[in-house]
Amino acid sequence: MDRGPHISNASSYRKGIAERVVRFALFLKDRGFKVYQNSIIDALRSLLQLDMGSRDEFMWALRANFVSRDEEWNQFGELFRLYWGEKEDSQVTGDGISPGPQPSNTEETVDDGETEGLIENTGEGDNDPVTETRWLEGVAYSALEALEKKNFNALSNNELQTAQLALRGFMQPFKLNRTRRSKRSQKRGKLDFPRIMRESLKRDGNPSRLYFKEKKRRLKRLVILADVSGSMDRYARFVMPFLLGLRSIGARAEVFVFSTSLTVITRFVRHLSLEKALERISREVPDWSGGTRIGFCLRQFNQGQGKRLMSRRSVVVILSDGWDLGGREILVREMAALRKKVFCVLWLNPIESDPDLRSVCRGMQAALPYIDHVLPADNLQSLRRVGHLLSRLMVH
Amino acid sequence: MSNDFGSVDEVIEQLSAESYVADRALATVLFLSHRLEKPIFLEGEPGVGKTEVALVMARIFNTELIRLQCYEGLDSSSALYEWNYPKQMLHIRLLEQKDIRVADMEQAIYEPRFLIKRPLLEAVMRSREIAPVLLIDEIDRSDEEFEAFLLEVLSDFQITIPEIGTIKAIKRPIVVVTSNRTRDVHDALKRRCLYHWIDYPDFEKEYKIVLARIPDIEADFASQITRFMQRLRKVDFLKRPGISETLDWAKALIAMERKRLDEEVVAETLGCLLKYQEDIATFKRDVWSDSGQRASYL
Repeated sequence: MDRGPHISNASSYRKGIAERVVRFALFLKDRGFKVYQNSIIDALRSLLQLDMGSRDEFMWALRANFVSRDEEWNQFGELFRLYWGEKEDSQVTGDGISPGPQPSNTEETVDDGETEGLIENTGEGDNDPVTETRWLEGVAYSALEALEKKNFNALSNNELQTAQLALRGFMQPFKLNRTRRSKRSQKRGKLDFPRIMRESLKRDGNPSRLYFKEKKRRLKRLVILADVSGSMDRYARFVMPFLLGLRSIGARAEVFVFSTSLTVITRFVRHLSLEKALERISREVPDWSGGTRIGFCLRQFNQGQGKRLMSRRSVVVILSDGWDLGGREILVREMAALRKKVFCVLWLNPIESDPDLRSVCRGMQAALPYIDHVLPADNLQSLRRVGHLLSRLMVH
Repeated sequence: MSNDFGSVDEVIEQLSAESYVADRALATVLFLSHRLEKPIFLEGEPGVGKTEVALVMARIFNTELIRLQCYEGLDSSSALYEWNYPKQMLHIRLLEQKDIRVADMEQAIYEPRFLIKRPLLEAVMRSREIAPVLLIDEIDRSDEEFEAFLLEVLSDFQITIPEIGTIKAIKRPIVVVTSNRTRDVHDALKRRCLYHWIDYPDFEKEYKIVLARIPDIEADFASQITRFMQRLRKVDFLKRPGISETLDWAKALIAMERKRLDEEVVAETLGCLLKYQEDIATFKRDVWSDSGQRASYL
């Protein structure tokens, strides 16, 4: 097996590889991959099992260990090439996995003292920053999207806290149902043999009473699609606490925001504190307060993330004023597709109670046949009503 | 057949001996999963042969396949173990006639013979002799709570039964977990597995699969069917047909004693390929109504 020209002995070669693999793991982590500590160790163990001469096997071994979902799977090939260099190199196996001086693109992410490598490679590093920014941005920009970003500080702390408090009450029904999941019941469902047994042991094995159990009740999945376009601007004060309040529903709520395109914000609202979440969302949603293309965004949802989320056990809540600049046809088609796959669709409309505004929004009219409930969402009272309805719909 | 994979090449060889056509990437992952004794987590569209991997592995190692089909509401008593309560009850009745102390009676009714072994316990206990293949199918259908049961099993291959103690597998079973991505599986579970995504096959691979799985098919016919399927998958359907549909269709055509595809037979057997009324309508409207397209498919 040809291990390339740089390698003087096997152990230093191995050490170099180990180091680069660990850095590669960090490189992937920077790009949103979930790389676990034990995956790194197992990746290295995997490499020991394989013949290191094959670059493909090397890649597959790392892929099996570092990838844990299909989005990562699709990106892996390109990131692998970016980090380990192109296959067309003169010594395919040697260069691909050698511990020698690296192409400069890896140096940008891995901050250490290997400046020599950087200087040596400045020639071929010229086009790297371009690739680099493309990866770092992660979100595609389009001419339609307004780039200015929403400043959440406009939302005063007081307002937020009040809203939060009200929303906690609004979320109560969900919590109740989650904790009430024991399954003893009075007289319904199947016989609870373990319990009958246990009780009978006290009486020398004479079952004196029958106990029953029933199915646990559980929650459906909640999918929120929130409109954050310009026309929704003045309702933002309701939108944001509402979205953030959803953290308490736990693992089954998924939150998206849209205006001209769709962005997932579940991971922000679920894992970060309120302030951090606000900060991240305003930074990462590229077209906050932009125009609206509801149909297009629904299509994005239906064909992307939605595939995973839509089932008869999902409740979809669309939060929008229905002010749509996109095509009517696509909206109707995508609403129909969405409605067919989920348990029910709710439309929360902040201008529902204002008849003048309501009649203007044609997007809304077109989508009406596919919506189970249209509810106003312009004050806390109406949000509470939404809460009641949701708590009824969500349990099955 | 040998009970060990020596190299990636050997994996491919043995897989193809069992008429499973795998690309090198999958073979590498299977090899690693075998060597590192890590479960393998397979994702992919329905009908691309995820479950088949486990069936083939069981044949290769000449061992038993223990299958746990996941569903919503699957709990520990149907996945791990359950006490056979009616039988215990009867036993108590019999013991009563012999005048035995309560403590002894308790001892007697918690013997392993009153234990109903469900798939996971079965897999752990069976592996005392020869490691079985444990297939945990469609894990995404189960509840989040159920994944927690799996963690103990998948990391240590041991199951704790309060009345008996901890049962530990001596030889680790080969575990294959499959998912259709209807929901996200928890990180703690994925962390313990090697991940592999099985995609729709390209022409070459699908052609090989058809030839391998349907021995009495003619090469020309197989390639015509495969070409048709490859084209069909480019159409925007609700559910694109997988490999299993290709094989079903090929078998159906052979049963109908066809040697070539023609317009008529395609229209007759469309139900083998497309399983939604909308998809069939789309196909008839967008593809089959146009004579140029029809010709290019055949």
